[in-house]
Amino acid sequence: MKIGMNHGAGGEVMENLIKDTILGNVTKKAVNDGIGLDSLDDGATIPIGNQQIVITTDGHTVNPLFFPGGDIGRIAAAGTINDVSMMGAKPLAITNSMIIQEGFPEESLDTIMKSMDACCQEVDVAIVAGDTKVMESDKLDGIVISTTGLGIVDTDKVIRDSTLEIGDKIIITGTVGDHGLSLMSLREGINFESTLQSDVAPMWGIVEKATAAGEIHAMKDPTRGGFANAINEMADKSGVGVLLQDDSIPIRDEVRGVSDMLGIDPYEVANEGKVVMGVKASDAEDILKAIKKDKYGKNAAIIGEVTDDNHVLVETPVGGVRIMETPIADPVPRVC
Amino acid sequence: MESTKILVQGIVQGVGFRPFVYRVATELKLKGYVRNLGNVVEIVLQGEKKNIEQFLYDLENKKPPISKINSIKTQCLKNNDKYDEFKIYESLDNFSGASVIPPDLAICDNCLKEIRDPNNRRYHHPFNACTDCGPRFTVIENLPYDRDKTTMDDFPLCDKCEKEYKDPLNRRYHAEAMCCPDCGPKLSLFDKDDNDLNSKHPLHDTVKLLDEGNILSIKGIGGTHLVCKVTDEDVVNRLRKRLGRKSQPFAVMSPDIETSLTFTEISQKEKITLKSKERPIVVLKKSKDYYFADSVAPNLHTIGVMLPYSPLHNLLFDFSDEPAYIMTSANVPGEPMMISNEEILGNLKGISDYSLIHNRRIVNRCDDSVVRYRNDFLSFIRRSRGYTPEPYDLKGKVLNKNVLALGPELDVTFTIVKNNLAYVSQHIGNTNKYKTYLFLQDAIKNMMNITKTNDFDIIACDMHPQFFTTKLAKELSEKYNAELVQVQHHHAHGVALANDNDIDEMIVIASDGVGYGSDGTAWGGEILYTDIESFERLGSLMPQKMPGGDLCAKYPVRMLASILDSCESFSRDEVIKLLKESYVDYFPHGDMEIETLFKQLDSNLNVGITSSTGRVLDSISTALNICGERNFEGEAAMKLESAAIPAKGEYNIPLRFKKLNKRIVLDTGNILKNVIDLIKDGVEKSEIAYAGQVAVSEGLSKIAVDAASEKGVKYIGATGGTFYNELISLTTKNYIEKSGFEFIQHKNSCAGDGSVSLGQAIVAAYKKK
Ligand SMILES: [Fe+3]
Ligand SMILES: [Mg+2]
Ligand SMILES: [Zn+2]
Ligand SMILES: [Zn+2]
Repeated sequence: MKIGMNHGAGGEVMENLIKDTILGNVTKKAVNDGIGLDSLDDGATIPIGNQQIVITTDGHTVNPLFFPGGDIGRIAAAGTINDVSMMGAKPLAITNSMIIQEGFPEESLDTIMKSMDACCQEVDVAIVAGDTKVMESDKLDGIVISTTGLGIVDTDKVIRDSTLEIGDKIIITGTVGDHGLSLMSLREGINFESTLQSDVAPMWGIVEKATAAGEIHAMKDPTRGGFANAINEMADKSGVGVLLQDDSIPIRDEVRGVSDMLGIDPYEVANEGKVVMGVKASDAEDILKAIKKDKYGKNAAIIGEVTDDNHVLVETPVGGVRIMETPIADPVPRVC
Repeated sequence: MESTKILVQGIVQGVGFRPFVYRVATELKLKGYVRNLGNVVEIVLQGEKKNIEQFLYDLENKKPPISKINSIKTQCLKNNDKYDEFKIYESLDNFSGASVIPPDLAICDNCLKEIRDPNNRRYHHPFNACTDCGPRFTVIENLPYDRDKTTMDDFPLCDKCEKEYKDPLNRRYHAEAMCCPDCGPKLSLFDKDDNDLNSKHPLHDTVKLLDEGNILSIKGIGGTHLVCKVTDEDVVNRLRKRLGRKSQPFAVMSPDIETSLTFTEISQKEKITLKSKERPIVVLKKSKDYYFADSVAPNLHTIGVMLPYSPLHNLLFDFSDEPAYIMTSANVPGEPMMISNEEILGNLKGISDYSLIHNRRIVNRCDDSVVRYRNDFLSFIRRSRGYTPEPYDLKGKVLNKNVLALGPELDVTFTIVKNNLAYVSQHIGNTNKYKTYLFLQDAIKNMMNITKTNDFDIIACDMHPQFFTTKLAKELSEKYNAELVQVQHHHAHGVALANDNDIDEMIVIASDGVGYGSDGTAWGGEILYTDIESFERLGSLMPQKMPGGDLCAKYPVRMLASILDSCESFSRDEVIKLLKESYVDYFPHGDMEIETLFKQLDSNLNVGITSSTGRVLDSISTALNICGERNFEGEAAMKLESAAIPAKGEYNIPLRFKKLNKRIVLDTGNILKNVIDLIKDGVEKSEIAYAGQVAVSEGLSKIAVDAASEKGVKYIGATGGTFYNELISLTTKNYIEKSGFEFIQHKNSCAGDGSVSLGQAIVAAYKKK
């Protein structure tokens, strides 16, 4: 088999590649009985005393490198900061490894570094190590950035993506689909006069406020594969179902418009500045209030609850109930 | 004196078979017994040889009207017990093998007479039934078919009824659904706030409420209808609004043929079907004097009509002067029809104003069947009430294994094969709706019960990776440790068609909306060679891009844009200009969406590939401003057919074919280009609609004929939802017959996806030689 683009697009095809070819070849996958590679969580943990070091790594490519709302530098920083945050850990530092195409403008690199730094500053994270390589111009397109994130959390405060409890309320911290659809519309040259832009942002502020306000049972950042992928993964790993209210899931009108025109489901495209949480029902309102105080959480909403069914279901006001599927890379038409 | 044991298999339960045997045996002075073994009826006869022979003759020739004998096995008994009389024994349920439960049947004339006779104790009894009529499949929970295994167990017989039930010479002997006003189910009428109106005459009051313009939910035998007047535009529109059902036609129930003739044309065959004991909805042509509100079946030249089938329906019309009522399944669109009282009262709030319900449970939900005659040839659109669960006899074509086939995704039925009998389920519906997906699983359990199937050796499903039925098939194949067989959609269509006609090898024109192809694209205008074992794709419509994927099904103008763009003699700028000038209103986001669409075509972002006939017919429909948005399956194509009715057929669209990957494809871009040219020339809409449909049918037919000549195959079959279209069917038939081939159509199965599970089951269970 040859690796295709869909092997990197999230969804089932990618899942199988990870399970078979990647996990299958790694012998030691965890340290000190911490969370390891095979749990495929946002990050790993290394228990030390009654604290845990959280570590996570991410490679970043994006087309175009600069887009409304951010650039690859901001994504590279936010990506790992958020993965660390999703474990409930305070992010402390990231490392930054860049592979740059021969001929890449230095001003662009300067912009990228400034924006990476600005993102780290927002949540008081250091860039503590780095590496820079240059590749021939025919081997690479622009720049690829890998970052590793480090954080720390008290052992009893680690939050997983696999521990939803029946009865939990599901919170999304803002509008879905912004990043994915703004980039697609940019690439397709759709000219919206409006402010359609990526939501890329560090989420630690929200997570910090939310954990202080109540009990969070599970969380995940809905990046690749979008909200649909994240919620399905959480439900699946937790062995529960979820019932969502379609009209309570926040979506920007511009995002809806582009998704209508392209036939792309806003639930299935990437977000870079959102969190999906399963929270204790009685704490839900308090947590929501706390999240809304954060500048990235103004549109947060309670959008559903965890059930004992084993499907993620969405109830629409007129259309009844449908199953929200794990997205696959290239959907084949199915409507007669 | 001789002793003979006879085993009869078929529809022999719940149809008055044992009393019939009793009567014949007694008349012939034969001794012995008869009993149900659940799946077969066992008869032991003792007496004169010639009388036994006479008995066997009568068995075949005088059997009860509903019964059906699949096989009779006789065996000489030696050293047998002596019998003093002929007796009917209790049913046994330790048996194996196939069993056959009869479908629900319309009220018989005897029962109808009773409910209209003021002196009969069943006068106005809405639940009257006997061995010749009434519910069966919808009330049965398990085998053998006895009253205690049905929901009639909730209604203990009164003394008078019990006497009838136990008298072998009475026509209610072991009629499991029989009852009377004293001991049977009761009707009650509720308002929308769930208040029981304690109506003394619920049916009279129901009619009154209907005539005042209310919308009622009425629980019937196998399901619930939403019911209202047909002549009041306001009422019908209110129903549409409440259901969110913009344009899908409503079926109506009319009291009799005479009344139906005031608004439709009815052929002799249609009349027979309307009055048949299965009593399906028959899609009839509206007559010149058609006078119903426009919104009942808007922009169509047809309307679905059924006659009353239950005593309740008959009484409704006895008390009413209306020519018909709308009778549409009470459900959220796409979800299963509601059958429990809690659902009817709870979930139909805001949809119906009042509810007429009763306290008999419905075990097997069963939607009304729908048939249509095209060129005087019957075709099943939905094969459900009145037909399910009567099995197809596969006559040894497949392995003697238990098979479950789950069908496609929309219009799903499933099929269970056991002992070479294929039980195709009632209509299940759109399984990407969660409740329908649950209904599918429930219905499978029920069908397993009444066929005494405990496990499966083979699970069959579609090849589409995203269908919920595919996912369920994978789960079930693990659960039963059964082999999983994925069958190509149009191969399944073709095999169902071949089975219906008792042939194997043929060239099939499989023409529909969508089916996952073995190359991963969406097929739907295919010329295949098929036999049970295999298929080969020999031709198709030209693959076209679907910018936005399924969005193209909802907004056919996207398909029109893409197909015109594929046409060499049309430049992109010309296409964009045309769209902006003439079709911009069909794009919800206007000009910007038109520009985006072409960028999408170039970047291939969410662009599917399809050779679907449905998408081409949709495009023609939109090009002619007939339909710009699809609100129900086949809408644009159905309206295209209706629009062509007045045409004389004066225009011809020249056909162009191309070669693509060793197969012949019909250039659909060229057809659409011609349609646009005819519009520019000011040709009448009906003529263009006609010419467009003829072009697509003749194009597909020509590829099929050439393929059949080359392969040396004499049969050319037509399958897929496109062939519900009368003009397309007739054109195809004429072309094929003129070319010297035999034209094969569905007889006792659906051309559409309702028969896909049957085809899947046969392919999956095929006995390799
Ligand atoms: Fe089909
Ligand atoms: Mg990650
Ligand atoms: Zn009767
Ligand atoms: Zn009685």
